Amino acid sequence: MNFPEQTPLELSIYQANKAYNGIPALIDAQITLRGGEVHGLIGENGAGKSTLIKLLAGVLSPDSMRVTFNEQPVELKTPQDAYQLGLRFIHQELNIVPSLSVAENIFLSHPYPRIGGVFVNWRKLNQMAQDVLHQLGVYHINVRQNAAQLSSGDAMLMKIASAFIGDDFANLRQTGGLLYIMDEPTASLTNVEADILFDVIDTLRQQGCAVLYVTHRLNELFKIAQQITVMRDGEVVGSHQMTDVTADDLIREMTGREMENVYPPRAVEAKGAIRLEVQNFSTAHVHDINFTLREGEIVGIAGLNGSGRSELLQGLMGADARESGTIYLEGQRLPRLSPTLAWEYGIAYVPEERRSQGLILTQSIAHNITLPHLAETTHGMGLLNHSREHLISQETSHDVQLRAVNTHQRVKQLSGGNQQKVVFARTMVKQARVLLLDEPTRGIDVGAKFDIYSLMRQFSAQGVSILMVSSELDELINMCDRILIMRQHSFVDEVVPTGLNEETLLSLCYGNAGE
Amino acid sequence: MLLLRRMMLLLISALLVFPTMAQDAPTVAVLTPFLAQPGTQLMVEAFEASATDKGWDVTVIDTNEDIAALVSRMEDVVLQGVDAIVINVDPTQIAAGLQAAADAGIPVFGMDSGTDPLLATNVTSNGYSMAAETATYVVDRLNGEGNVVMFIFEPYPPVQKRGAIARAIFENTLDITIVDAITPSFDNGPLEGARNAMEAVLLANPEPGSISAVWAAWDDPALGALQAIEDAGRADEGIVIVGIDATEQARDAIAGGSNFEATVAQDFSGIAEKVVELIESHLAGEEITQVNHYISANLVTAADLAGE
Amino acid sequence: MTTQQSSSNKFKHRQLSVGGLMRRYGTLIGFLLVVAIFWWQKPQTFMTIPNWVNITRQVSILGVVAFAMTVVMVTGDFDLSVGSMASLAGIIAGLLFQQEQSLLVAVIAALMVGLVGGLINGILVSYIGISAFVATLGMLTVFRGLALYMSGGASIYGRAIPETFSNFGRGGFELGTLNEQRVFLPNLTILAAIIFIVVLILLGQTVLGRRLYAIGGNMEAARLGGVRVNPLRLLTFVFSGVGASIAGLMLFSRLSTAHPTQGEGLMLKAIAAVFLGMTMTEEGEPHVLGTLLGVLILGVLANGLTQLRIDTYIQEISTGVIIVLAVALSSLSHKQINILKPIQQFFRNSGSQAEARQLND
Repeated sequence: MNFPEQTPLELSIYQANKAYNGIPALIDAQITLRGGEVHGLIGENGAGKSTLIKLLAGVLSPDSMRVTFNEQPVELKTPQDAYQLGLRFIHQELNIVPSLSVAENIFLSHPYPRIGGVFVNWRKLNQMAQDVLHQLGVYHINVRQNAAQLSSGDAMLMKIASAFIGDDFANLRQTGGLLYIMDEPTASLTNVEADILFDVIDTLRQQGCAVLYVTHRLNELFKIAQQITVMRDGEVVGSHQMTDVTADDLIREMTGREMENVYPPRAVEAKGAIRLEVQNFSTAHVHDINFTLREGEIVGIAGLNGSGRSELLQGLMGADARESGTIYLEGQRLPRLSPTLAWEYGIAYVPEERRSQGLILTQSIAHNITLPHLAETTHGMGLLNHSREHLISQETSHDVQLRAVNTHQRVKQLSGGNQQKVVFARTMVKQARVLLLDEPTRGIDVGAKFDIYSLMRQFSAQGVSILMVSSELDELINMCDRILIMRQHSFVDEVVPTGLNEETLLSLCYGNAGE
Repeated sequence: MLLLRRMMLLLISALLVFPTMAQDAPTVAVLTPFLAQPGTQLMVEAFEASATDKGWDVTVIDTNEDIAALVSRMEDVVLQGVDAIVINVDPTQIAAGLQAAADAGIPVFGMDSGTDPLLATNVTSNGYSMAAETATYVVDRLNGEGNVVMFIFEPYPPVQKRGAIARAIFENTLDITIVDAITPSFDNGPLEGARNAMEAVLLANPEPGSISAVWAAWDDPALGALQAIEDAGRADEGIVIVGIDATEQARDAIAGGSNFEATVAQDFSGIAEKVVELIESHLAGEEITQVNHYISANLVTAADLAGE
Repeated sequence: MTTQQSSSNKFKHRQLSVGGLMRRYGTLIGFLLVVAIFWWQKPQTFMTIPNWVNITRQVSILGVVAFAMTVVMVTGDFDLSVGSMASLAGIIAGLLFQQEQSLLVAVIAALMVGLVGGLINGILVSYIGISAFVATLGMLTVFRGLALYMSGGASIYGRAIPETFSNFGRGGFELGTLNEQRVFLPNLTILAAIIFIVVLILLGQTVLGRRLYAIGGNMEAARLGGVRVNPLRLLTFVFSGVGASIAGLMLFSRLSTAHPTQGEGLMLKAIAAVFLGMTMTEEGEPHVLGTLLGVLILGVLANGLTQLRIDTYIQEISTGVIIVLAVALSSLSHKQINILKPIQQFFRNSGSQAEARQLND
């Protein structure tokens, strides 16, 4: 179903209702998407955004819903209906097949070009995949390489590309989709990669397509959106022109409460003794790292994807083997570390990917919290002390303000923010000396973010030294005492965040500060 | 008075015997791990036919080469209270099962099985004489001179016996050399295993005439060897092949005038019928004293088959 | 056009309906049903103490292998070599008996077979990084060949085997008399029960067990969470190896015969038992209680179907159908019983599994 560019384009949903096991997830939701407009959709986790998108995609059946397309009633019962109407989806999950090439991944849900209807035309497949990446403005990804070799940012770009196969960007409404629905596409992108996406979105808008853009990052919306819908507890609580609102308005609407500042202020100054000293430290992925960390200090690491930020934390944790260098913890020279030893020394770690690296999703909250501390949760003789485990998990989940039925609940049933709190609770079982945080607030809502920042402040006040990697520059500037800049697997600079803005920090990451 | 006592006795025995006679015929369980073997199949079928004629209730249990399972199944039928058990397996391996049967007072009959004090009796062919028949056939055909390949199987005593006798006969003939004594792999059946082994032997002995005969302890490896020889294009070297058991396939090969010249026909139905007969007399209260009952077996050559 | 549906209500009901119960407890219900049918059909013999004593003895050997296999499968691995390791252990003990070595020496040597075999499996899988499927498949063949080579393909039986050894497999602990027949609790059953309790405690009550479940749940998260993944994976293979050796000795003792291939049927049945057990846990993870039920299902089926005098080939078919049915039913309840996990690991670079479930909003 294609329309000439001049044709108006308007998709509306009214009275969308959906309940899971009797618990309403969506109550009388409505939204209208128009051609030539980027429409933001925000709300905390559990507000109903994903449910709304799944209804649009035809993968969930609603309890009730009315859909009109250019004022004509239509059906959205199956994914095919959605595709026929011209809806295209970019989801936040990185569902990639690591063993296939980039080109094959781009074509994952599309028919392969074939010769005589039988043999795969690899040349054409690769060419088409490359074309679509070039149209997006992505030139650095080789379509023949294995998807496993991509950074998470590049993998996301690859996913985005697969929504545009065979489309001509000069004439999208004839060749491609009409409405693009994007669910947190920038969650694993760096700012530069996000800019590539924003250019694409701009093209879509100019071509007269409609875009629904779901995100936790308000500043992005001010950059690209014209219209915004705010959801809370399954209901639409506001719909505005982007020019009429401020970030504070939106946060208030989303959370239903006043939030003066997203970042809790520092309570005490960190001027303690040196806690961690790293000298000439190298692993297979980082080279010649030198830094110190004081008691109660929060030090940030900024850098582009692939600069070695996460790998440095993994190296300090002993997950990557140390090749050279020395680490002193409170003046004591540490032996070659393994994750097991690191936890024993009081080096606690919150990994980048909480689902694949942090948590055992099928197990209970209590089991996840005590995992690194099992040796101290015994009656002796290796026999588990269940009552002690219960106590520990109760206390720590209370401390992190975890919202769960009880500590026996499976972690996979929790929201992203609460899952991250479980990972944090793990670091509180034993007083940590050093806390390594990798993207501590990725993909979690504003309220949970605030809780996590508060926890970090609390840790710091207790004297825990924190080393934090983050792609959210705003977060680094507002939370850290110092920021180390990482480029090409080494530290290249150190800055004090006072008075620093995001642009300056970003250009430091690129290494063109002076230009 | 005496009459009265006799009448009473008759009444009691009628009360005791009649209900069992009327309600259920004697039940017999046949247990074997080797039902896939053609010989075993023949024997079991003959047993079933003959026993069913007598109105017995027969259950056949095959455990597919799993001896431990056979013991378990034997315990089950003991508990179930069958009247007799027939086994076609080496009795030394199922001592636990035999003991269970003995404790419950259920007689166990060997059908081409082996000798064991806990068996009522065993009916079999005389393995020694069968092997002697084919081994001497080979010696005669070669005029007492040549190289022989043997296919043997040690784990199963009745077959192991055959190998021992044939070996003794060959070793006792001055100018006969045993090139190799091979246990064929059972992974894809003994036929395939023997075929592969024979191919290797032929490759190792490329000179025409370097192999004079193949003696196999049963027919499957003889057939496998025949295939290997024909495929290697060495069928015209006059290699003499003999087997034992006279399976249908073996008979066809012999009748077709191939290198496969002779086999020995065990009288499987004869064995089965003898077992039925012995069970019947045992159930009738007769004592069986003989440990083994032998049923004679005959050499089968192309000449014997020509008449069929 | 308005789309009006009330599927949420239906869904809600289904959770509590017969269907929902069947999916969660289908295997248990099926088991009880099978027992009930046998009881009804064979009232005199099936539900009797001697028969159940019989069943426990019959499944004891399989049980030991399956309990040990559960430990390996908790971490998401497999051990395909248990059957041939059991045969080899029996052959080694038998050969030592023939050389008039003492009972103790023979038993220890047989246990060493499992220890060393398990070590090799474990090193191949956890340190060299071969998938468990391939490594243990290869070792299966090695152990099998060794057993055949060392025994010359022949069974070991007869006078060389000490009476105490063969009596162990047949004897038991006298419970009392029933209908003038003495009832024994078989030694083999007692031994299997001990190993069951050991595994039950190990997996449920110890730090080690918790760590093994963590490895099975998410290997990378376990490693970063301070679990020494490699040594523990190795340990599970040693455990299953020793379990297999014990089973091999039990089999030898029960049959008074060591045959170089007599343990081979154990491997597939043990894995089947663990899978049957996995259908009864909430997340589809192996649990030794479930394994016990799985073992009993297999044992009761064989015992009952024999008593009903059902053709042995039909028995095999029905056992297979029941296994597939149980797993299918439970996978309808969206449990992640990942039967193919080790195979997938073989085809995929391990560690790059992106958990992509969409449970949080």
